[in-house]
Amino acid sequence: MAASAVKIVPEMTPAIDPSPATPQPAASVRAISKRFGQTSVLEDITFDVAEGEALVLLGASGSGKTTILRVIAGLEQPYTGKIILHGKDVTELPARERGVGVIFQSYALFPKMTVEKNIGYGLRIRRRPRKEIKKAVNELLSLVQLEEHRKKYPSQLSGGQQQRVAIARTLAYKPEVLLFDEPFGALDAQTRVHLRREIRVLLKKVNVPAIFITHDQEEALELGDRIAVINTGHIEQIGTPEQIYNHPASEYVATFLGAANILDGVFRFDNVEICGALIGAEVDPTRFKDGQPIKLAFRPEDVSLSKTDNLPDGVCRLSHGVVEEISFAGAYERLSVRLDLMPAPAEKSGDTPYYLTTETPENPTAKPIIATRTKPEASKMKLRVRDHVVVGLTSFTVLPVTAAE
Amino acid sequence: MSMIPTMRHVRGFDVVRPLSIGMLMFMMLPLVFLPLLSIFIFGTSKGLASFWSALTASEAVFALKLSMVTSFWATVFNVVFGLFAAYVISRHNFWGRNALIVTISLPTAIPTAVAGFALLLLWGPYGTLGRFLAPHGIQIMFTAGAIILANIFVTFPLAFGVIKPVFDTMSRSLEEASATIGATRWQTFWHVTLPSLRGAIVSGALLTFARAVGEFGSTILVSGNLAGRTQTAPLYIFAKFNEGQIEAANAIAIVLALFSFLIFSVLFFAREWLDVD
Repeated sequence: MAASAVKIVPEMTPAIDPSPATPQPAASVRAISKRFGQTSVLEDITFDVAEGEALVLLGASGSGKTTILRVIAGLEQPYTGKIILHGKDVTELPARERGVGVIFQSYALFPKMTVEKNIGYGLRIRRRPRKEIKKAVNELLSLVQLEEHRKKYPSQLSGGQQQRVAIARTLAYKPEVLLFDEPFGALDAQTRVHLRREIRVLLKKVNVPAIFITHDQEEALELGDRIAVINTGHIEQIGTPEQIYNHPASEYVATFLGAANILDGVFRFDNVEICGALIGAEVDPTRFKDGQPIKLAFRPEDVSLSKTDNLPDGVCRLSHGVVEEISFAGAYERLSVRLDLMPAPAEKSGDTPYYLTTETPENPTAKPIIATRTKPEASKMKLRVRDHVVVGLTSFTVLPVTAAE
Repeated sequence: MSMIPTMRHVRGFDVVRPLSIGMLMFMMLPLVFLPLLSIFIFGTSKGLASFWSALTASEAVFALKLSMVTSFWATVFNVVFGLFAAYVISRHNFWGRNALIVTISLPTAIPTAVAGFALLLLWGPYGTLGRFLAPHGIQIMFTAGAIILANIFVTFPLAFGVIKPVFDTMSRSLEEASATIGATRWQTFWHVTLPSLRGAIVSGALLTFARAVGEFGSTILVSGNLAGRTQTAPLYIFAKFNEGQIEAANAIAIVLALFSFLIFSVLFFAREWLDVD
């Protein structure tokens, strides 16, 4: 029961000791599916969160990520599947008996209660002794550094302060898991970055498993120990930020998290063939069948440009190309390069932009690729529009073409 | 340097402003101010002693008390009912929801005499229900209970109308947050929902009470207008006026007028306090 996990101790240690000998997940979501009428909004969602771990559910709006959170919190009932918190199946329990802490997007602070009263609410309704509540509230106020605002009402606080009150109010009753619903959506960009760091530090201190929901990839990369990319109700990929970014499992993940170039190709002779040219990239032959269509995905920063055919070691040669556009993007230089192995853009007279004629859904490969270069790289070898270059890849991912596409 | 804007302001003096304000006040003079003023002028024209004896006449005191008590119970009922109705209607979507909203709001549009007549036809000794009660000696009409029923009927939508919009705009996430924190539905209602409704409940109650105290049309039909038994303050004014006892009527009229001033000043000046968040 949640009530047993209420006692506050000064160090804010978790309710259940995370002994490394038993790697039981703190929170476990098993094969959750959910329908609204005929529409399926979640399909077979399964993941674990370890004690003290931060998992980010990253997805576009309408992907179903908020529904997952609400199912865990007990605010929605799943169609199938189970929610297990610290070894206990809570699927059938109402929200109030789950001991889950939800930080709502709007913070949902009680407007008629002071900061103190808001934070102490969870303990008051559990009828803890007054002294104990006072002590716990004081500790939490100092934890979130709001001691001097204790008598204020939520409407008198800034967005960031309101969020800290919401977190303290949730920590007061020692939740089994913390759920953050778009926690920074209502804040300006600067506060957002600042609060992200604060929350990470705070979470490490309290050692409670946390699940974040966001559509912001930068936020996901910074907050998450692991990231689950959600697309139309299912998990596309789950892994560390490094895994997700460097080894995306699908085109959706590759393009949703950061910028990615995608080229259509065919798997042939244990290699990748793009428009009839083998690019000299070795691929694990067990993953694909000969002649199977594949996609080649690579990040703009993984593109290596050279004026000669001498590419550095470990760089796989893709093709020749022509620089079409160079733009300055602050920390780096951004180039768009049209590869020679692509069909040339249809010759059109006048000023008709090329993409109007070639960037059609039937021919996505005809798009020029995007490359970025850091300042030192750019100054070492200056490039101008219409320069011919050799395009190599330092890193890339070969993806299967899914049936849906 | 700071003089320049002031000068400009004086030069640009807008004649329309004082003219329009003065015009508004002048129009209200015969419509509202003077009638109200004349109650006080007439009521006290024969001296305060005569006003006081008219006010403390036993029938007058009884009429005032009866008005207060019946209005009080009607208010209690309608606030509780309005709260419940607003909760059900704003939290659930069901078949017939709009029809229900219209029905609750209907009594405002029904003439009060019709309302009183309708109650008589239902509860009176020969009424649809009353005829089954009469043989058992149960008589609702022509008692204080009838006055309460009439008051409830005519003030039915007032509290509901004030409370429902607050429910509608209240964020669901407050209640959801309370639930995830571990509160029962009752705790959530008591600690979270109700405090946000405080202002609406107080103003709904005052509106209901003010309206009920002044109710005449339905009360005169259902109460029987028995002096010292079922005669409310407005009925007393009417009865005394008919008997030619203008001073007796006037004394009560002053009390009712002052009473409504009081209620509306509370509604007006306590807005800040009622809506504090």
